[in-house]
Amino acid sequence: MVNYGGDEVSALVVDIGTSSVRAGYAGDDTPRAIIPTHYGYMSTNPDADVLMGDTGENNAESSKSKFAKLYIGQSGPSIWREGMEVANPIVDGLINDFSPIKPLVDHAISDVMRCNPAEHPILVTEPTWNTPANRERMAEIMFEEFQVPAFYIANTGVLNAFAAGKGTAFVVDVGQAMASVTPVVDGFVLRKGLVYSSLPKLVRAHARHILVTPTPSRSGIALLPQQMIESKNAVEPNMPVQFTARQDRIPKTTETWQSWAEEREIDEWIQHCAAVLDQGWNDAAAQSRPPKLYEFPTGFNTYFGMERYQVGEQFFWHSPALVASNPNLPKNIPALITESLRACDAELRQVLMGNVVLTGGGSQFAGFADRLSNELTRTFPHAKIHAPGNPIERRYGGWLGGSILASLGTFHQLWISKEEWQEHGKSIVGQRCK
Amino acid sequence: MNASAADIRSALSIEPSISAGPSQPKRTGSSVTKKPDGISRELFSLIGPSTPTLAPPLTKPRLKQKPNLGVDARAKWVLRPFNNNARTDGLELHHWVKANSDPNTEYPFAKYHIQTTNYTFSQDEYSRFLEDKEWTKDETDYLFNVVRDFDARWYVIHDRYEYHDGPPRSLDDLKDRYYSVCRKLVRNRPWAGDEASKAALLSSLQFDKERELTRKKYITSLENRTQEQVAEEEALYIEIKKLEQTERRFKKEREDLLRLLAGVDSGLQDIVEDDISSLGQLATDPKRKKRGALEAESPATPSVPSINTPLLKRPQPTKNAAFDTQNCITRTELPNTTSATKAAHQPAFLRSFKLPVPKAAIAPKVTQALAELGVSHTRLVMPTRDTVAQLDSLLEATMALIEMKRVVDKVDYDIQVLKSQLGMKEEQEGDDAQGDTMDVDGGMVEGEAGEDGRSQSVVSARSGRGSRRQSRRSLSVSSVDTPRPNTKRQKRS
Repeated sequence: MVNYGGDEVSALVVDIGTSSVRAGYAGDDTPRAIIPTHYGYMSTNPDADVLMGDTGENNAESSKSKFAKLYIGQSGPSIWREGMEVANPIVDGLINDFSPIKPLVDHAISDVMRCNPAEHPILVTEPTWNTPANRERMAEIMFEEFQVPAFYIANTGVLNAFAAGKGTAFVVDVGQAMASVTPVVDGFVLRKGLVYSSLPKLVRAHARHILVTPTPSRSGIALLPQQMIESKNAVEPNMPVQFTARQDRIPKTTETWQSWAEEREIDEWIQHCAAVLDQGWNDAAAQSRPPKLYEFPTGFNTYFGMERYQVGEQFFWHSPALVASNPNLPKNIPALITESLRACDAELRQVLMGNVVLTGGGSQFAGFADRLSNELTRTFPHAKIHAPGNPIERRYGGWLGGSILASLGTFHQLWISKEEWQEHGKSIVGQRCK
Repeated sequence: MNASAADIRSALSIEPSISAGPSQPKRTGSSVTKKPDGISRELFSLIGPSTPTLAPPLTKPRLKQKPNLGVDARAKWVLRPFNNNARTDGLELHHWVKANSDPNTEYPFAKYHIQTTNYTFSQDEYSRFLEDKEWTKDETDYLFNVVRDFDARWYVIHDRYEYHDGPPRSLDDLKDRYYSVCRKLVRNRPWAGDEASKAALLSSLQFDKERELTRKKYITSLENRTQEQVAEEEALYIEIKKLEQTERRFKKEREDLLRLLAGVDSGLQDIVEDDISSLGQLATDPKRKKRGALEAESPATPSVPSINTPLLKRPQPTKNAAFDTQNCITRTELPNTTSATKAAHQPAFLRSFKLPVPKAAIAPKVTQALAELGVSHTRLVMPTRDTVAQLDSLLEATMALIEMKRVVDKVDYDIQVLKSQLGMKEEQEGDDAQGDTMDVDGGMVEGEAGEDGRSQSVVSARSGRGSRRQSRRSLSVSSVDTPRPNTKRQKRS
């Protein structure tokens, strides 16, 4: 036991991201509970006959006064309910609204994992740009509401480096909402080198633009979700669709649910079709790649050729016209990397470039790792990229690093215990979790 | 196969004979019910009481005795609360431990909680030795706090260093201030230990800001090379490699020539050797620089380069001729053209493993020639550098001799052929007068051939054949001692 440096104290690790909340036991290699961060709620008092899923239902006492009803989990927002709004507590990677955090974590730990948080130390992750107020609030929730015996909040940049087995790394994290570049040295983030942008949002917006804009060969695609379709007939590629929408539902659908569902359609299309060319943009190369067939819930299906590569290109290159028209354009990946490196010591650059860690679900974009490695080796011939092939490791790198950290014997001296919390109050969080 | 005779008989349904011999196992009633060793219970129940024919080979092989793991080999584990001594509070966590372990032992990971030595100073000490017009006491205090917080991880310290209304500090400013204060404290405080440990501590606190800055400037300049500069550098490097190769080839050719003409110890070798080494050094220089730069930056974790790293230099091999001769050291120059790759690397070897061997094509001839001389070249009793060189020259001389011999014989044969052609022409001219001389000639050929193959003047097909045989014989180096330039050299060497 001592040989491996591990000593498990059955700690829990909770990683709250934009797309999902991951929770599990420290020492495991996969989170036990993965639930969407989006949640559905009824803003007004619902009628008594509201249909609720088993896991989606939330206990009445835990829901805040703001929500009459919360729908959390796998059958939360994804089930259409009359008048249900959908929201996400995370804005730009940071927790913006703490009211649903407790129900979300509670659902993951108590309902999915079926364990009592008061019996386990809990390690929570935070993005590098988290505010001190936010982490203190998180500690407060954990200690006061979940009654955890011990708590620690760790940085996802550092945890991603740990998940890759490195103490010093250059973490390129592309998530659902944010893309960030974090230099980590000896297990500490260099805050001056941290840069991030909401690049994935831009990519999704671009994908939406491509889909809904009519082209000479097809009209704009209706992003109608599955839940809104009553029946449909199979049609040949590029033919007009034949489907009946659920007219009864349409007027009762909220705007937030609508946009959530559309985003999901776009995401699915991106995940299936979109890719990035590994050698930079080249019309001929994009043309030569085989087109992919994709069918939307309406039954419309068509082949996507060059368009699917244009989407991925947004990660690495923005056209001058786009830059000129939009001064607040999120920085692309090469710009983020350059800016981050410029803030680092010259001596560190070579070391960091030899330990690039690519992580985050967004980095699983087809061809992303190849492209990044090509871009990097152009300027840094010695650059070495660690991009786990295992999708679990890539998507839940932060959780995995937390799982490793919280199962180490030498880590247990770092926990903020309940005793310390009561004695020192909020300031202990900033002192302990550097 | 120890199938007993009884078994075979029963298989062939022959009545058991009395002469069954003592080797036959007794089959009593008790042995039928008892399960023999080495057969699993299931198998035994399948084959039933008709004891297996193959029982002996199935007996348990003799293995090492199993370790005795106590009476009960199963370990009992219990979930037990523990206190971590590295913590200041009484947080009680639970972990699984073996039930027989001592619950009162110290937490095994607490020992990894190592505190680094922190230097602190009083107001008095500060005003006496630590005044610096660039730094205030408050800022120095702040610096020491940050250093303590981050355990002297300088990159992190520099990153987190945010002293309000202080001037911007570079990483080297911070290091310089911290180490200079520490040095002054160590120097001015009473020291409990001996002088050596104090000196060691002081040297570990050494920090040369100028040197660090220069080093960083070099790194930046190395990084800021444009693509063209890098390409040019590489082109130059390749160019110098080419030059070096040509030089080496040239040198080798010249050496061969010198050896052929003037012998090994022409004395010119050293001059050339010297030349080459200097060139080689020149050529490897950029590479060394590169490698050095990489070394400085390659560690996966840049544990803040300890303050005196730049002082460290690899000791240069002392090339002192006097020292070498005194200690009988002979330096072999590595071929400079071979790159420092793994494939080209030549490991240390015994000289006896790399004895010179003649070329495969003429090896048997060389062996034969040396055997005739009574020299055994395949084995050296003591292959020292000198003897190996001697052997090498011997082989070379022999090869040269054989080559010479071959050429001589060829020329002889040519002469002979030409002579015979001449003779035929003469014959045609004076045809009538030749009746019996031919026979005489033939006899003469036979006679003379024994002593000198070359002195043949006559014509006939037979004589030609004879002379060829002769030439073949002369190839066998019975005449090694004939005075020739190369043998002369052999003697000399």
